Amino acid sequence: MIHLKVTNLQKRFGGNHVLKGITYEINGPELIGVLGPNGAGKTTMTNILDGAIKPTSGTVYLNDQRIDQLHPFEVARAGLGRTFQVTRSFRRMTVLENLFVPALALGHMAQGPALHAKAEEVLAFLTIDHLRNEYAQALSGGQQKLLELGRLMMLDPDVIILDEPFAGVHPTLMEVIYATIRRMKHEGKAIVLISHQMDAIFSLSERLLVLNFGELIADGKPDAVKNDPAVIEAYLGTEEDAA
Amino acid sequence: MESPTIFWGVIGWMVVWGVLGSILLRQRYLARDLDTSNANFVGAMSGAALGPVGVGLLWATTPKLSGRIIVGFGILAVVLIAAAFSFADPDNVCVSNGSFVASQISNGLIIGIIYGFMALGLTLIFSILGVVSFAHGEFYMIGGMLVYYITAVWLPGVNPLVGVMGACLVAFILGAAFERAMLTPMYKGKVDRPVEYGILATFGLAFTLQYFVQAIHGATPVKAQRFIDFPRIRWPEGADPLWIRTSRGNLTLFDTISISNPRFIAAITCILVLLALLYLLHRTWTGKALRAVSQDRDAAAIAGIDPNRMNMLAFALGGMIAALAGALLVQAFSWLPQVGAIPAMRSFVIVVLGGLGSLPGAFVGGILVGLVEAAGTGCVPDAQKAASYIPAYGMIVLTLTLLLRPTGLFGRRFASGTHGQF
Amino acid sequence: MRQIPNIAGVLLLAFFAAFPLVYQGTNYDYVMHVLITAFFYAILASSWSMLAGYAGQFSFGHMAFMGIGAYTTALFCHYFYITSEPTGICREFAFFGNWFVIVNPIGVTSTTLSQDCLRQAMAAWDGSVTVTRMPVLIGIILGTLMGGLAGVLVGLLVLRLRAAYLALFTLGFSEIIKAVISAEIDITRGQAGMELPALFEDGVTVFGRTFEATDKIPPYYAMFGLLILCLAVLTWLARSKFGLFVRALREDQDAAAALGVNTTRYKVYVFTITTAMAAAAGAVQAHYVGIVTPNMLFLLQMSLVVAMAVIGGIENFVAAALGAIFLQIMLEVLRTSFTIGGIEVDMSTWRLVFFGLLLMITLRFFRNGLIAPIINVFRRSGVAKETVAKRQAGRTA
Repeated sequence: MIHLKVTNLQKRFGGNHVLKGITYEINGPELIGVLGPNGAGKTTMTNILDGAIKPTSGTVYLNDQRIDQLHPFEVARAGLGRTFQVTRSFRRMTVLENLFVPALALGHMAQGPALHAKAEEVLAFLTIDHLRNEYAQALSGGQQKLLELGRLMMLDPDVIILDEPFAGVHPTLMEVIYATIRRMKHEGKAIVLISHQMDAIFSLSERLLVLNFGELIADGKPDAVKNDPAVIEAYLGTEEDAA
Repeated sequence: MESPTIFWGVIGWMVVWGVLGSILLRQRYLARDLDTSNANFVGAMSGAALGPVGVGLLWATTPKLSGRIIVGFGILAVVLIAAAFSFADPDNVCVSNGSFVASQISNGLIIGIIYGFMALGLTLIFSILGVVSFAHGEFYMIGGMLVYYITAVWLPGVNPLVGVMGACLVAFILGAAFERAMLTPMYKGKVDRPVEYGILATFGLAFTLQYFVQAIHGATPVKAQRFIDFPRIRWPEGADPLWIRTSRGNLTLFDTISISNPRFIAAITCILVLLALLYLLHRTWTGKALRAVSQDRDAAAIAGIDPNRMNMLAFALGGMIAALAGALLVQAFSWLPQVGAIPAMRSFVIVVLGGLGSLPGAFVGGILVGLVEAAGTGCVPDAQKAASYIPAYGMIVLTLTLLLRPTGLFGRRFASGTHGQF
Repeated sequence: MRQIPNIAGVLLLAFFAAFPLVYQGTNYDYVMHVLITAFFYAILASSWSMLAGYAGQFSFGHMAFMGIGAYTTALFCHYFYITSEPTGICREFAFFGNWFVIVNPIGVTSTTLSQDCLRQAMAAWDGSVTVTRMPVLIGIILGTLMGGLAGVLVGLLVLRLRAAYLALFTLGFSEIIKAVISAEIDITRGQAGMELPALFEDGVTVFGRTFEATDKIPPYYAMFGLLILCLAVLTWLARSKFGLFVRALREDQDAAAALGVNTTRYKVYVFTITTAMAAAAGAVQAHYVGIVTPNMLFLLQMSLVVAMAVIGGIENFVAAALGAIFLQIMLEVLRTSFTIGGIEVDMSTWRLVFFGLLLMITLRFFRNGLIAPIINVFRRSGVAKETVAKRQAGRTA
């Protein structure tokens, strides 16, 4: 049973109080959208969960293992994977090699036919199997997003954080990303989806977290959050004003 | 040395506490969630200067680590080393002979100014292109060579100013041409690792230039004539000792400090050119554009500055500065195709110490390195060993700075792209 | 098609393996010497290309590790002896019924060189006591280990440094090592250099053929064997997950870490392995040449290695090794000076100018080197075709 518990997470950069005590729990397979205007602390939160930066105070437990003081690679092995806002594929490695890295790093697979079969299966699902021996830098932006998702499928973590998976993706590939997210959910993973694209977030998520100025101002079903006055004021309201 | 155990004991004590302080304070500042960028460095300095007292004080109070604290502890550490040295070795010329110390300091200062000037070129290139030019020493070398060839071989008897100007011009054109021919792929995302590409390209240039000059010139050392002679001055008249006394090739202050003409001329010219350069950077449009590019490439491009033009200008200017340093020093040292290696290494040390990309840092770093070098040559008892170890002192400073405080004394993190990485 | 580089490789190996036995020219020793030096540079260039090209760690201190290997074995062979009787004047320990003797420091002048405590004792014994040198092989192994150890240290120190900072740090490290070796005159004799016993001092007998210590064939095969060993290790590493991880590290350190790669560990590994190879090459070369001086740590030597790797192909260590062999041979061929129109062209310097120009041209126009792309053409032949074919098959299905 997947259990991610974030307790009173705080982060200061010098005098800048970026996260002011975030607390939430994720139990079991869930698809959680995270909303928040720029500077709300979404990226900082992701980086803390991932182990790239250490929180000022507060704890993160994943399946009863404390992960907030671990290195990123240990966090990945503990079962938390992420994508990056800006695509970070290994540009001068082939698509297949990109997929091999996480599987081998975790050590639960060795080089051999089984690994190839798994990678081929992932590539076929992502509809980029014809590119298997191309260098990643030859792929389009959307295909690189797919490749990043593919690496996460190979890593096979319990909790997946997707940072802007739809940014700059061609509509035809969008469907593939949707399918991938649903498949991950179906495989019993908890997915944290960070995106600026409202329609995607609202159509996919089962639960929404809304951050504003480092505080968690709403946590609940999308419909309930949509009508939350605090959220409307902080985030959606400005959107409507602009529109 | 009379009682080396005292000296090495003190050094060992300082090193131990420096390392401890560096580690402890970083932990402490991390734990209290304060700005840790200086903690390593200040920790090392406080440990070295005051031992457990210094570290404990900072540990307890965790003040904001300003430049003043850094400088204070740094000076204290140096004083401590000097005191330990004079206790350990009271008969050393550096302790017993005041006039020797004075002349060492003034010589160190002068050579430091020239080093700092040369490092300025390197740091200018780095701040704009993000590349450490490994060809800096070769620009220095061709600067000197050209002055010699212009004033002694091609146009004998010509005013040395023509030689210096010619050397600068050639270096500027060479720098610009090299940048256009070799470094342009860096900016357009055509190479996968632009910084490494730039380093390798300048490495290749250094190699080619050095052997090109050697192939044409051969391996015989040359030396240029003194550019100008000092006028004869005795001042104040009739006083004893005279405050200033000059002969044609030498300047004597207070009858104790002796400065040779070529170095003096070189240092003065360096200061003048430095002022001109500061004017260029801060008062002219081009200079402002250069500084803008060094702070944020993309923003500068949006503001209508062509960053690629600025890259060319920066590389050419940087090369020219090195060539000018060489052109001024060719009257002081004998010149060989390999002569660039040592000043290039010094420049690396200086720019890292001062902070890669920081102009004032380069100058202050240069003076520091000049002084340390003077102390190193003058004071270390075993002269032969000292001479061999001098390059190592600088490099130890360089490696330590990179480990403790990669931004150097005056450094800042660079805003844009690859420039910010370390 | 994809097998062509392998076939060419086997042919090349066979050629170099058979060459000393077949070649009969009058300049036999000279040609052998050139090839041994070429193999030496090939080891350095290929290990550097693993470090810089595969792992993206542009170290300019590779020659320092080479020097550490060379000087470790030089000091080991110079200072330690085994005698059957105690000298009484040296520092010595009982050692399995014999005596392990540590010779006192040489000092600077040539008289102290021949008058250390052991030499004095030997003069007194007048040949009645057997004095044994340390085996060269142990010196070489120790040198390799020391190089690897230094690599661990440097690898740990440079974890946070990237690009220009790493280049400067490693350059600084190299200069410190050089300065220490030059300055500690009473131990290393400084610029004068230390003499070493030959690789096979007592000669060797293989298949009934006896070789003298000065014969070129044994060191040729020793260096060639070391090169093959290094290339085999590098190939094995590159094909295992190690190669995959260090390349991921080069491409994007943070992304690699986020996917579970222990970046710290692999960075230190790659430093250790490549520096140990450089040290091994340095140690063998030192015994072959018979003398080590701090001059072999000059930046020029590093430039040669860098240039060879870049011209061969920095991201392919086999290409880097081939580049090194090819360029070393070319440099020797171009050594002869000639005269055009009464002007003597001193090729011993001009060849290096061409070398530098070739380096710059390669960097500018052939980013993957001159040899690696040829290999890649065969290796990746059909990839594009396959991509297109697969896509069309996908469309029709």
